[in-house]
Amino acid sequence: MNRQNLNLCCTAILLGGALLARAAGAGELVAAAAVPVAAVAGVDTEMQALKDEVLDLNRELFMLEEELLFPANTQVAVFVSMDVGEFFALDSVQLKIDDKPISNYLYTERELQALLRGGVHRLYLGNLKTGEHELTAIFTGQGPHARDYRRGATLKVEKGVGAKFVELRISDRQSAQQPEFVVREWE
Amino acid sequence: MFPNRESSTGPGHRRFRLGGLAVLLLGAGGTATAAAPVSGSVVRDLYYGETLFHFYQDEHFDALTHLLVARDSGRVGNHEAESELLLGGLYLHYGQHVRAEQIFSRLLQDSSEPMVRNRAWFYLGKVRYQRSLHAEALDAFDRVSGDLPAGLAAELPMLKAQAYMALGRFDAAVTLLDGWQGPEGWVAYARYNLGVALARLDRTEEAISQLDRLGRSPAATAELRDLRDKANLALGYIWLQQGRDSESRPVLSRVRLNGPFSAKALLGAGWADAATQDYRAALTPWLELRERDMLDSAVQESLLAIPYAWAKLDAHSEAAAGYQAALAAYDAEIARLDVAIAGSRSGQLVPAMLSADDARIGRWYWQLEELPDSVENRYLYDLVARHGFQEGLRNVRDLAALSANLDEWQSKLATFEEMVNTRRMAYGQREGRVAAGLDQAGIDGLQARRDALAAHLERVAQSRDVVGLATTEELDRWQRIEALGASPALKSEAAGDAGERYRLLKGVLAWDMDRDYQYRLWQQKRNLAQIDALLAKARSAHASGTAARQETPAGLDHFSARIASLGPRISRMQAALARDRSREEQRLQAMAIEALGEQRARLLSYRVQAQFALATIYDRAAAAARTAPAAEDAR
Repeated sequence: MNRQNLNLCCTAILLGGALLARAAGAGELVAAAAVPVAAVAGVDTEMQALKDEVLDLNRELFMLEEELLFPANTQVAVFVSMDVGEFFALDSVQLKIDDKPISNYLYTERELQALLRGGVHRLYLGNLKTGEHELTAIFTGQGPHARDYRRGATLKVEKGVGAKFVELRISDRQSAQQPEFVVREWE
Repeated sequence: MFPNRESSTGPGHRRFRLGGLAVLLLGAGGTATAAAPVSGSVVRDLYYGETLFHFYQDEHFDALTHLLVARDSGRVGNHEAESELLLGGLYLHYGQHVRAEQIFSRLLQDSSEPMVRNRAWFYLGKVRYQRSLHAEALDAFDRVSGDLPAGLAAELPMLKAQAYMALGRFDAAVTLLDGWQGPEGWVAYARYNLGVALARLDRTEEAISQLDRLGRSPAATAELRDLRDKANLALGYIWLQQGRDSESRPVLSRVRLNGPFSAKALLGAGWADAATQDYRAALTPWLELRERDMLDSAVQESLLAIPYAWAKLDAHSEAAAGYQAALAAYDAEIARLDVAIAGSRSGQLVPAMLSADDARIGRWYWQLEELPDSVENRYLYDLVARHGFQEGLRNVRDLAALSANLDEWQSKLATFEEMVNTRRMAYGQREGRVAAGLDQAGIDGLQARRDALAAHLERVAQSRDVVGLATTEELDRWQRIEALGASPALKSEAAGDAGERYRLLKGVLAWDMDRDYQYRLWQQKRNLAQIDALLAKARSAHASGTAARQETPAGLDHFSARIASLGPRISRMQAALARDRSREEQRLQAMAIEALGEQRARLLSYRVQAQFALATIYDRAAAAARTAPAAEDAR
């Protein structure tokens, strides 16, 4: 045991730093594996191909489910989106079609953050007969000055032969310092 | 880098720290920037927004599936380039480098928008970097020209510097990092890498300056405190190496006693004291180390250092006892390692590691942070913290999650099949009734009646036939008056003023009908239009009914065929997933056994040193014993 041992130790620390810095992506790990690099690369390629196939299969199954359960001629999808959210902290949305409650959704903090960053939540996917229907959304949460807030918005929709998409949009009306709730149809 | 054994999160599990810069870097930069869409961009397709909803919650598998479906259904047409970028990013972080590279290359071919091209070059570089194609990565990074979103702009120089370092081009890394003004969270990492690069170029004084600056800087987060400790440790050892022992000691003292680098710092501090011949002082940190867990190589080394110091202090019996204690400790540890190696060969190593894992948690940046307590795992914290092992664990986890996903689909498929069969049965039951209803609808007969009515109205309108639009009552009266008018009795003298009254009545009735004629004509035309609309609806309903009648069996057959073809595909995929999972587990197991073997070899080497030192002490003691009686005899 003497100073020479330190050389090793010091080098190890610095080398460790460099390798670790490199490893921010994927770098040195393959070299650390107990099998040759080429073999690992082959496994990786095969693994990617397999995952790709499973993803593709998953996509097909997803589409089959939607086409089978919600055919385009009866499909109706209702989405919730949010813009800014300064005057309203959303807790839940209740959705009624022709006065019949069809969804009551309570949002988690994580989901709210996703909405605020521009995500759009598909609140409901179902079937509806052709003809006129009334869609009502009731938003519950905290409004300006942290007061409990409950507002409704209604839209009459004409369900035709194609799928119907409806957006429930929560935005801030700066002029009135109040939240605004809009229900609108998408083509 | 070693596990933090002080903290435990619950019975049977240990939380450990992935105290590597790689992890720190990922934590600091990756999450914020990974393929993220431009924040604040307006969502113009609901389904693109839905993908983002999953993406922002780290539900990347769901995000990927939704995006693939939305693109396939043509639902994200307003976000063509953005969705392509997002898809590439999702593939990239799902480990699908080949797909990701294809997408970014395609974007570069198709898009002329500078923002899209810059981001595509950036991600293409990152794909290559992650595949260790460092020169190619740099080529892509160099093509980024102009604006990038803030997060990516901060990440770019770090990635470039790391690529340069991986290629051994430390000078280029130094040029890039020296004076770099990045976001606050990144500067410390940049400085550390700069220090490492300078040290590799033998520009020791400059390396020392960078590391010293980092070692003295305030650190707001646990990760930055770990990084600061690491900088102080590296600096302390550089000074030790250069013989600047008095400078080394205070720097090593800056390393926190409860941090992940404290054991190495204590070992170094002892060596700094020993270098100044102050062996008594050196014993203080080394004896502190002796009390710690034997897993750490610094602790193992301290068992040799302590008797070395006692020997230097001429306390030979303490030194001999120290070496004997070291030998006993090494033997016990080697025996435990042998048990761990045997346990690792059982094939249960990886499944046991992931036993407490929640596969629903998003994949990106997922890392195993807790290990169930077991003899094997006790020795594997270091290995598990390595990026390569984590990547392998991620693969196993992905394969397990995909398999669970397919299991779910398999059971759903059975339901779908039943659903289609039920629909087919219901169709069979209704088909006869529906067919009869359609056949007997009599739309053509209704159309003929409508046409007759229209022709009548036309005639009335052309001849202004007010009687043609008379009510039933008026018509009845009109016919009676007409009949009276045709009677010869009315023209006889006996009729008196009846003729006059006849003309008056006829005139009044004609007047009334004429007065209402226009309104009645408009009303009838309106009725005709309503009949036309109703007939059109009836025709459309009849047509869709007929089409449904013809298409339903084909549609159901189509669904049945899809279900029938998907079932075997799922089974095939499940077999492939199981095969790859087993292979990956074996690979990880081999890595674990190799790591355990390395630890065993290190302990054996320490053991040899201890034995040699002990033998030397005994030899000296024996020589001294031989010398002493001889001297006495001589006296």
